[in-house]
Amino acid sequence: MPNLTINGQSYFADAPPDTPLLWVIREDLRLTGTKYGCGVGLCGSCTVHIDGHAVRSCAVTVGSVEGALITTIEGLSPTGLHPVQQAWIEHQVPQCGYCQSGQIMQAAALLSQNSNLSEQQIVDGMNGNLCRCATYSRIVGAVRRAAEIMNRAAEITHEGASHG
Amino acid sequence: MVRSTGSATTRREFLIRSAATAAGAFLSIGLPALGSIAAAQPMAGFTPSIWFTLTPDGKVTMHIVKAEMGQHIGTALAQIIAEELEVKWEDVRLDSPLESVENFAIYGLAYTVNSGSVTTEFDRLSRAGAAGRIALIEAGAQVLGAKESDCTASNSRVTESVSGRSVSYGEIIQKVKIDRKFAYPEDFKTIKLKASGTYNIVGKSMPALDIPTKVTGQAKYGIDVFLPNMVYGAVVIPRTRYGSRVVSIDDSEARNIPGFVRAVKVDDSIGKCTGWVVALAERFPAAVKAAQALKVQVDPGPYAGIDTSVLFEEYSQTIKNDAAGANWVLEGDIDKSLAGAEKVLEIEYTTDMVCHATMEPLNATVHVVDGAWHVYTGTQSTSFARMTLTAYLSKVLGQKPEEIKIYVHESVLGGGFGGKQDYDEILAAAYCAKEVGRPVKLIQTRESTFATSFPRTPTYHKLKAGLKNGQLVAMDHDICCGWMGPRFSVGKKYGTDWLQLDSWDAKKEDIDQWSIGGSDHWYDIENRRVRAFDSDRTTWAVQASALRTVSNSYNMFVVESFMDEVAHALNRDPLEFRLALLNGKGSARGIPNAGYEPGTPSDYYMDRLWISLPWPNDNSWPMYQSTTVGGALRLANCLRVAAGRAGWRAKKLSPNTGMGIAVSSAEERQSPTWVAGIAEVTVDPQAGTYKINRLTIAMDPGTVINPLNAKSQIQGAALWGLSQVMAERLTLKAGAFEQSNFHDYSPIRLADVPPIDVELIDSGHHPSGVGEPASTVVAPAVANAIYDAVGVRVRHMPITAEAVLAGLRKKT
Ligand code: FES
Ligand code: FES
Repeated sequence: MPNLTINGQSYFADAPPDTPLLWVIREDLRLTGTKYGCGVGLCGSCTVHIDGHAVRSCAVTVGSVEGALITTIEGLSPTGLHPVQQAWIEHQVPQCGYCQSGQIMQAAALLSQNSNLSEQQIVDGMNGNLCRCATYSRIVGAVRRAAEIMNRAAEITHEGASHG
Repeated sequence: MVRSTGSATTRREFLIRSAATAAGAFLSIGLPALGSIAAAQPMAGFTPSIWFTLTPDGKVTMHIVKAEMGQHIGTALAQIIAEELEVKWEDVRLDSPLESVENFAIYGLAYTVNSGSVTTEFDRLSRAGAAGRIALIEAGAQVLGAKESDCTASNSRVTESVSGRSVSYGEIIQKVKIDRKFAYPEDFKTIKLKASGTYNIVGKSMPALDIPTKVTGQAKYGIDVFLPNMVYGAVVIPRTRYGSRVVSIDDSEARNIPGFVRAVKVDDSIGKCTGWVVALAERFPAAVKAAQALKVQVDPGPYAGIDTSVLFEEYSQTIKNDAAGANWVLEGDIDKSLAGAEKVLEIEYTTDMVCHATMEPLNATVHVVDGAWHVYTGTQSTSFARMTLTAYLSKVLGQKPEEIKIYVHESVLGGGFGGKQDYDEILAAAYCAKEVGRPVKLIQTRESTFATSFPRTPTYHKLKAGLKNGQLVAMDHDICCGWMGPRFSVGKKYGTDWLQLDSWDAKKEDIDQWSIGGSDHWYDIENRRVRAFDSDRTTWAVQASALRTVSNSYNMFVVESFMDEVAHALNRDPLEFRLALLNGKGSARGIPNAGYEPGTPSDYYMDRLWISLPWPNDNSWPMYQSTTVGGALRLANCLRVAAGRAGWRAKKLSPNTGMGIAVSSAEERQSPTWVAGIAEVTVDPQAGTYKINRLTIAMDPGTVINPLNAKSQIQGAALWGLSQVMAERLTLKAGAFEQSNFHDYSPIRLADVPPIDVELIDSGHHPSGVGEPASTVVAPAVANAIYDAVGVRVRHMPITAEAVLAGLRKKT
């Protein structure tokens, strides 16, 4: 029985080890923000963070992530206002919203590695996430905006540190 | 034909549609109980009409009957009510009524299609909001001890203008029992609505109320429903899309899968879920494994030999038989004008199937409690879901429809696009729930979602243009495809007349407007004919259905490609040529005034409508028609705007680059949203591939409710159209769809997205829909741009690199 750490809590997953992580997150832990779209790594709806990296949870088994730190959309920010989420609201990105947990998790992982992304890096980084409502034009703008919020926050912290 | 007209239907409009109050033709304010709404949805407070409730805490909850599938419709409808109710936007909440027989009698048909919600609701919701405001001012004056005529309402408060004393809506409701009746129709007619241009909430980009939960993962979709003791179902991919029959099931291997419960052969006696077997298990992954492990023997049925190519061949033959066609548009004398033309162009076009592929796969959960069937899902019509399930269970259980109690609990939809108005998974989940005696959550895998999808039909078109004196004097358009109409009248055919429809056969003289709309465009051409030919085999074999803009999505590709070809044949500029024909004359003038007066002679297309649905919101169609005011002149204006912004014939273009124009008036002839699109495209002459440099869209939807959201819808729709022309193709092979997941059915992604310039023209007219129409102009604009760039005309959608390359080779 795999022992999982999800959003800072640990769980014993009462599921066969070859079960896709996605279904344990959704059906056992009832963290339904992570979505099923294709089941084979083609759409990105199921994206979560594993040790800080964006991973398709439909394509990894629950047995393979023992000991890893897993974050789902529900655990991205305690207030629900991670810079990416803020930017997503400011730009009114979601339409049906079904793909958006995945988009947000993808963007958050991308920005955590580099918050000074070029346009092309945004496109490359987000291209694996399908949005059938085609909110794409807004996604690019919102990723840029999230980067701005993050960089601004970093500046403030930095200023605070140097003055303090 | 049960088409609704006249006062009897308008009358229902403000009757609150409540059995309890049906005796009095009043909108009762301070109504003691709204029939069964109260039971289904207890809410203390002030409910001046079925559309909203004000509670003593000062909040107002709008009851939204429309499906939320990404269009943020709840926000738009709430803005309309809030505008006239003079309520503070921060006080607005949304909920949606449970679907049941009782609530149906109150709210009418819950059905979200045709980009029609704002169009049909704008007037009545405005009036409902205004009626609430009037009653609150009266009651507020009483609380303040002021004269009514000295009081005004704004920001959820009633204020006496002279003294400045005021009282909040919440306090009014706490202090006074409001009992105000509005006589129908006099009081409603005399309610003075605000004029366009004086709005405070309508026309503002209010943040969508459904967005916050969609960025935190808290929004609940149908797939997120859990019930105690439920079991999961996965569908075994049927051998054919339609018409196969299960002969036997061998579950010996499936039984080795831990958690497997049993296999269920779904009753398909009403012609739904044909050949379905569902694997039930304690976990969904186990259900999927079991579905794969089941060995199902089938009789593949009558459609097993059909490929897409067989259908195209059939269409090209059918169209040769004049007797098989039915006139949809007939103006002037087509035969004579063609015979008298200097030159006749004759061109054929074809379009492939595409499907919705909503990101949320189809799913439904059904739970039987005390004999009542509770359905949890996200559907475009909770009403039809309930009626379909009623018919099904009536047959399966051998009970009378009125003995069957069904409640449909709607959730937000992970995409709709016309793809969530067939109810197969609901029926199958209900059948399994009955068989296994536990709640069943049936989730279609992506693969079974493709296999059982309801696609847009393949289509075949033959057009003729009569050219004379540099003009287009005659246009003839024959269309052959699968009609979806006959499929929706399934009830009668199977002896379960749940829609109380006349049988389709008795209506042979009618035409399925949903398969032909768009061909009745707004160009002024003296002699015109459109003939519809149906392929019954297609209807059933592929289960033809509605997909975003319905028939416009192929007809505009054809009509606008053709108009371009005609312009070039006449040596005329495609822009100038179109503008000359969009003159607003004759049948292209639109109706003179918005609104509906019984007895007004309707546009002749109205008489040909096949609308035999029990459409309780009965003045929908006149409201739709209000969007035609101004006619083709508004379309011409959009075209000028788009051409100007795109730099038509003014911008310097790089080599192998061209621009293409298209206009459209989707959704129906009676409900146009005026839109023009221009694509700038660069073709790689070696590979035949093409890249979209820029899309320009200009749209006049009348009054714009929420500009930011309208632009978002237009951007999404434009990209939907781009995906259709560049990337999507569904094919039938031996009666089954060949594509199964996003590797072989691959909608466009971020890297394919060009800059999109959207110009929204708020013309102040009656509002029309913005969620779909922009999708129709992109495909023809791209086709025309490719021609402009390299002189290659592709007459098939999608436009593949191979087709462009073949055209280039032919040229050299
Ligand atoms: S569900 Fe995992 S990538 Fe699509
Ligand atoms: S918002 Fe609907 S799929 Fe992305």
